[in-house]
Amino acid sequence: MENNGWNEFEIGAMLRSFDGAATNIATTHTEDRNYSNSNSFTASVADWRIEKPLFNKDYCIDCQFCWIYCPDMSIISRDKKMIGVDMDHCKGCGICVEVCPTNPKSLLMYAEQQDEDVALAEWPEKETKEK
Amino acid sequence: MAFDKMELRDIEVWDGNFAAAQAMRQAQIDVVAAYPITPSTPIVEGYAKFLADGYVEGEFVMVESEHAAMSGCIGAAAAGGRVATATSSQGFALMVETLYQSSGMRLPIVLNVVNRALAAPLNVNGDHSDMYLGRDSGWIQLDAYSPQEAYDLNFIAFKVSEDHDVRLPCMVHQDGFMTSHTAQGVKTFTDDVAYGFVGEYKPMNDMLDLDHPVTHGVQTEEDWHFEHKARQHNDLMTKVMPKIQEVFDAFEELSGRKYNIVEKYDMDDADVAVVCMGTSVETAREVAKEMRADGIKAGVVGIRVLRPYPFAEIIEALKDIKAIAALDRSSPNGAPGMLFNELAGALFNTDSKAALSGYVYGLGGRDLTKAHLVDLYKELQANADAGKVLTPLQQFIGVRGPKLAYL
Amino acid sequence: MSEIKKIKNLKEFSTSADRFEGANLLCPGCAHSIIVREVLNATNDDMILSAATGCLEVCTAVYPYTSWDASWIHIGFENGSTAVAGAEAMHKALKNKGRLKQDRDPKFVSFAGDGASYDIGFQWISGCFERGHDMMHVVLDNEVYANTGGQRSSSTPIGSSATTSPAGRISYGEKQNKKDMLAIMAAHGSPYVAQVAPNKWKNMIKAIQHGFEVEGPVFINAMSACTTEWKFAPEDTIAISDLATDSLVFPLYEIINGEKLNITYRPKNVVPVEEYLAAQGRFKHLFKDQYKYLIKEWQERVDQKWDYLQRREEASV
Repeated sequence: MENNGWNEFEIGAMLRSFDGAATNIATTHTEDRNYSNSNSFTASVADWRIEKPLFNKDYCIDCQFCWIYCPDMSIISRDKKMIGVDMDHCKGCGICVEVCPTNPKSLLMYAEQQDEDVALAEWPEKETKEK
Repeated sequence: MAFDKMELRDIEVWDGNFAAAQAMRQAQIDVVAAYPITPSTPIVEGYAKFLADGYVEGEFVMVESEHAAMSGCIGAAAAGGRVATATSSQGFALMVETLYQSSGMRLPIVLNVVNRALAAPLNVNGDHSDMYLGRDSGWIQLDAYSPQEAYDLNFIAFKVSEDHDVRLPCMVHQDGFMTSHTAQGVKTFTDDVAYGFVGEYKPMNDMLDLDHPVTHGVQTEEDWHFEHKARQHNDLMTKVMPKIQEVFDAFEELSGRKYNIVEKYDMDDADVAVVCMGTSVETAREVAKEMRADGIKAGVVGIRVLRPYPFAEIIEALKDIKAIAALDRSSPNGAPGMLFNELAGALFNTDSKAALSGYVYGLGGRDLTKAHLVDLYKELQANADAGKVLTPLQQFIGVRGPKLAYL
Repeated sequence: MSEIKKIKNLKEFSTSADRFEGANLLCPGCAHSIIVREVLNATNDDMILSAATGCLEVCTAVYPYTSWDASWIHIGFENGSTAVAGAEAMHKALKNKGRLKQDRDPKFVSFAGDGASYDIGFQWISGCFERGHDMMHVVLDNEVYANTGGQRSSSTPIGSSATTSPAGRISYGEKQNKKDMLAIMAAHGSPYVAQVAPNKWKNMIKAIQHGFEVEGPVFINAMSACTTEWKFAPEDTIAISDLATDSLVFPLYEIINGEKLNITYRPKNVVPVEEYLAAQGRFKHLFKDQYKYLIKEWQERVDQKWDYLQRREEASV
């Protein structure tokens, strides 16, 4: 929202989450919601990141640990499947990588500038446990 | 759930507390969150009894402190319904944080303040310390001088406060004990007429509109805070007085009882005037009439609307007066009194040549006697004759010990 | 009473649509957000929420943005519980008068930190619980005033270094033991009091759903591992939380109607308290020779508490 003057906003510094009526929000996913421009969903914290998580779906078992423990609603899951990371809202904390149980992990942290295709091409091999 | 209407006589003998409680009942408040404190307790008790007897259909939340009372009122008002409560003195002081929050969030809440002194030393009697404490809180402040006015101003308060152009909380003040516990004749409305005047509550930005979620009570820092405070001030400065006048007019049409933003008594040809609030207005009116027998053209100005401050109305009321006394019933604690300062602020850039002097009186319920006022009017006449203030600018009236006078 | 949301497993749970939004300003790795998500996603019912002044509040409603998709209110530091109680009273009043815009019954939830619950907001919560409002108060218990930079609260555990009880040459930091809020709230006769941790999500969802199901004031103490003030790396939030629950420093249990205590989580392998302490900067000084005795005392305290909880559970009291 632009920096409006004193006469250009609603009284009481009240904010609305959505434009118009929003029924059944608890069962409506982000793509079907009519967010107001004062909903933080419309903003980005991508510039907070130093490292970013990259997702390799080849190894993902859709356990949803990353979904439940993501503090930033940035693991996109639909129909019980993990389908990607919301890079506008991910702050790069790395929890998703830590809780990922697959071997190799299906989420890994990379420098923010890392090219995704290169990373996927060079994804680590399965680690064998040292005996 | 239903509730019964109450049959009232045309004129009931009520004290200010009961008059306020009756007005709250007739306004059909949805939520009252309250905590008892002398001398406003009977308002809360009265409302509780109405509830117990089935005359009220709403929630009565008896909380554990005045801070919680206003907090609960804020939550309820933001949820979307008619809300009111009552308090005094220390309870008012404990509420102060939430007073700023409720006005900043633009929530219409009616607060009956039965004025009482502030400790220390502890005192249960009436002065205006609590009323003065609230004057920068962003609330509308109406002052009742009698039980009748406490009754009437409650209806007016709901109507002004809840208006969508206003949406600011409103205090209705009355003097502790002198008004709150003194029974007088009060002309009543029937329940239907009273509710008809206040009207149905019209929600705005209500949290309970579940299909339109709202966020109340945000954080604003240096990039937004100033604009929001400016907006609130602007609305107090430009929108509230016209609305109050409109509601006063409607009320007069309904009841025949006329209220003015600034009340003027014997002011048309007055040379000298006392400006005061609360029950002192009635005492001063009586003395002013008597002074006229002695050849002093005395008048009285009562402040009906303390906030927003009636700047233009004050100038108009005092424009031809030669000597003015500002009567402050709150210890200024190291400054001229509030009324003195605000009258001076209003008159300073006008053509008024009035001699303005200030008096501090009545702290902790000390009586302001007619004798005090007789002396005071005589001092004003001397000032008027001399064309300047002959006394110190600040004098204390009615305090024991050597005379206190400053400035 | 509306239907309870069916959450058999994590896959099913992951079909939830969050009502808490990203681009809030909470620290990367903050557990507050994980707790809020688990509470909000435990139901599909409408919600009326409040937050006390604190990290959650200052990070999720900074003008001109809100991160809340349900109606939400903040008043002050101490009165978030009463804000929701007032809204709950209004809902009851309007329902009785037939004036609700939508005739639905939302869940009323207040969120507050440990400072806003154990300390400054204590009286307000006590009032709400004594009066019996139909609401849930969730403490985001990070054992410190994190929003203002790490001052001690009455939830700060003994031996922790906080900015107002710093460890130093002659001090091991915080001297007082953590206040037992659950016992206090249970003593209010609350129908449901539970200690939960977001890393044990299934346990937590069960507690939250139980809390939503009962009528009356429900108290939830949720452990919120704080990367900033506990001093661990943001990616370790869940690992640290696991150490807390599995060392029994943070035992998970519930008290029903103030009179029946159940342990709700028993770690398969109990981890020594020392491991939990060693993983966090706030306890670093305890590993100096002069303070090592405190680690032993920690372990003893944890063992004693666990023993006490088990005895109560066995005795069904």
